[in-house]
Amino acid sequence: MMRGLWDRETVALMLLAAYLPLAALWVWFGGTDAVLRFGMAALVLVFWNLVFMLARAQPPSLAALVTALAIAMLAPEDLGAFRLALGISFGVVMGELVFGGWGRNVVNPATVALSFLGFGFPSFPWPDFVDPVAWAAIPTALIGIATGAMPAAVIAGALLVAVGATGIGLLPETALAAAGIVLVLLACDPVTSATTGLGRVLNGALYSGLVTLFAAGWTGAAPVQIAVAAALLTSLAAPVLDEAALALWVAKRRRRHGRN
Amino acid sequence: MSALSFGAGLTLRFPSPSPGKSDPEDVVTEEAGIRTSAGQTVRVTPLVQEEELVAQGAPVACLRDHPGMRFVAPMPGRVARIDLRPGRKLSQIVLFCEAGGDVLTHDAAGAESESGLRALMQKAGLWPWLRRRPFGGMPDSDERPAAIVVMAADTRPFAPDPRRALEGREEAFIRGLDALGVLTEGPVLVCSAPGPALLDRSLGKGRIREVECGPRHPQGLPGFRIHDLVPAKIETPVWDAHAEDVAALGELLSSGILPMRRLVSVAGAALREGRLVRTQPGADLRGLTNRFVMPGSHVVMSGSALDGHEAHWLAPRHRQVTVLPRAPARRTPHWLVSALTRSALPKPVIPTAALAQAFGAALPAAPFVRALSSGDSEAAIKLGLLSLLEEDVALADYVLGGEAQLAELLRGMLERIRTEFAA
Repeated sequence: MMRGLWDRETVALMLLAAYLPLAALWVWFGGTDAVLRFGMAALVLVFWNLVFMLARAQPPSLAALVTALAIAMLAPEDLGAFRLALGISFGVVMGELVFGGWGRNVVNPATVALSFLGFGFPSFPWPDFVDPVAWAAIPTALIGIATGAMPAAVIAGALLVAVGATGIGLLPETALAAAGIVLVLLACDPVTSATTGLGRVLNGALYSGLVTLFAAGWTGAAPVQIAVAAALLTSLAAPVLDEAALALWVAKRRRRHGRN
Repeated sequence: MSALSFGAGLTLRFPSPSPGKSDPEDVVTEEAGIRTSAGQTVRVTPLVQEEELVAQGAPVACLRDHPGMRFVAPMPGRVARIDLRPGRKLSQIVLFCEAGGDVLTHDAAGAESESGLRALMQKAGLWPWLRRRPFGGMPDSDERPAAIVVMAADTRPFAPDPRRALEGREEAFIRGLDALGVLTEGPVLVCSAPGPALLDRSLGKGRIREVECGPRHPQGLPGFRIHDLVPAKIETPVWDAHAEDVAALGELLSSGILPMRRLVSVAGAALREGRLVRTQPGADLRGLTNRFVMPGSHVVMSGSALDGHEAHWLAPRHRQVTVLPRAPARRTPHWLVSALTRSALPKPVIPTAALAQAFGAALPAAPFVRALSSGDSEAAIKLGLLSLLEEDVALADYVLGGEAQLAELLRGMLERIRTEFAA
């Protein structure tokens, strides 16, 4: 009879709105090159979404644009069209579309694509970000939290550990910019991050913890590479964190009520 | 999560003319229908013939397998139609109002004992106003609940304030609560909206006590209160009743007459003015709305805009009538477009803050929705499925744009669990 707003496409639109400041500044400083990379990524994603719509009747989602932005911003540079297309295809098909499209995936397609490109073509340099772009992650996170499309607890957990690690000197400042951008682009994906309150805090904390660990022990790795690897491992761990949080919640309730 | 549940829920703003400040009007509609709650089926034996005159409170039908359980006339009248579906399932019994008819008085003498009280409540037609969880519907005649939750709060949009319904009936309310205390060995919990206390002290040796619930929807739904206070399980069912009906029980016990007036709000975007009326259960919704509707096609629903359904008669437990403009029939999309987009339903649910608040932050919303849509009843039971009914997920369904079909999924899962445990 009456309908609310928060269906899948509204959430995708809210995410796009949140990423606008980040994307705008990145395009401002990246110029035509950035636009071309984004266009390329979007084209490949649209192609695969169309294929899956025709073959499996999976309605495409605007969230593909979010994926395109993340890949265009974070993918290694100078790959050339073919390698980039290969990486994106692997990421979006194996990471998202075979599971039934956005909302049913277990890992973020952008994370899969970026990891694939990073492992597959290790000789290409990872991108660097100028400071204004990194600062734009803050308004992005704020818009995401205000609209409820991004999990606030993930960001809170990540900040908590990051502040602590920076305070005792474990997390170098060079890694912070990339870690922040990857946090909002990949780790805060509402679908593949943890979904319970405690699970989300742990999820964010684990992300920051892994970034700290890699920054300390992974010699020769670029900041973006570190952050993407941390995001991949975190999203793989998210179901376990959720399961733990749920078990705790159920146990607490059982203690309180003597039943479920 | 419990630390965050302060102020949990959503504030919903739907368009509707305001009902004004005046006192509720007494309205007895010319027709009334005796029906069951949506989705419930009962097999009945009619006790009257068509065209027969009946007094208010007189039995018109009883359950086939439990003749002591009666459905009664909500006003003095003449039986117009008795509609039964195949299998003697009650569809509707329509009555015409006959002004100046009799009111049936029951003998409330034996009601001190539990069996006497049950018999009186069933004979007087009050039993269908109770509801049990898990699974919903009215409780069996001899079921003993683990707890009874009395709702003196209602956060549904445009719901009438139960405190207003209780004005001047405090004594009857207390008497009704005491009587409910006889039906269970567990607690009787009165959930009230923030405000002055309804009970000065806890009654019945501390078993009957008041708990406050938050002001936002869905905090004032019995499902979430039961989930929070005394979760229902298959072997320990929990009942819920509306505070006004408890006051009616108190009056039944003192006078032998079951009062057949309830405070009902009439609201919705298709009305010229909102109304607050005292009317009979099963009232004719057109009779309540006729002169107040804006011209044009509209839908009259029993219940709120979220959990109501299109109906002719007010449902047994409903206290709201919602009138909405009828949405223009959608053009059917091209078959290719349907084939390409509509086959992957229900659409996936993205966990957002809106979803968590639609469940009042009372349970892990996203895992619960995933358990529902994947049919994982074990996980859903762990998260509190058995305390919930369709009306409790109606807000989430609304928030998610109606594509998640949570109410249908929940009902399907409950039915599956019921058949599994009955076997």
